[in-house]
Amino acid sequence: MNRLREMRDSNGWTQAELAARVGVSRKTINTVENRVFTPSATLAIKLAQALGLSVEQLFWIER
Amino acid sequence: MHDVHDVEEAERMGRARSRIFFVLAMVFFAGQSMYFTSSPATRDSHARIGAWLILVILILLLLATGGFVFRGRKVRDLLNDETFRLNRLAAQATGFWVTIITALVVYVESIFEPMTFNEAIHIVVTLGVGAALISFAVRERRAHRIG
Repeated sequence: MNRLREMRDSNGWTQAELAARVGVSRKTINTVENRVFTPSATLAIKLAQALGLSVEQLFWIER
Repeated sequence: MHDVHDVEEAERMGRARSRIFFVLAMVFFAGQSMYFTSSPATRDSHARIGAWLILVILILLLLATGGFVFRGRKVRDLLNDETFRLNRLAAQATGFWVTIITALVVYVESIFEPMTFNEAIHIVVTLGVGAALISFAVRERRAHRIG
């Protein structure tokens, strides 16, 4: 589970803008937001850093 | 940090690649179905075998590199990112299993209906490489359509 779309929207960024900041394709951002693709630890850290959050604030496991 | 224009260019190239790979898989299977349904007398000409071999090598190179090898490094890094690598890995696994299962089927079949070594290799490689290519194209197309 993640809050990527919510946090990206709150920053006013498009998927392409976030992708450029993190260095991945827009497709990757889109598939992470739609929970089709689970990012690696490296990408999760990069996404969290770009949004000024900790990884735990951005991603969590539903119990 | 990358430029948004690079991301947009990578997006266009990624969509084009998934379409090109899908069409290439269809052309490959159509060509091979014509090969296997033609008479053995005309089937094994040097030209037909050569064309098949070149196409197989081209497909393997495309799957290994992701294509667009002459594009700039920045755009290629975006194009061949984490989801690309995951889709390619899954496609390679599909190709592996199809190759092994086809080899087993060909092995059993050859007990009842003898075939040449070349025929067996042709069948195994065609199905293995074709399955990997179509699996990659379908996964990439699906990833581009989500959202």
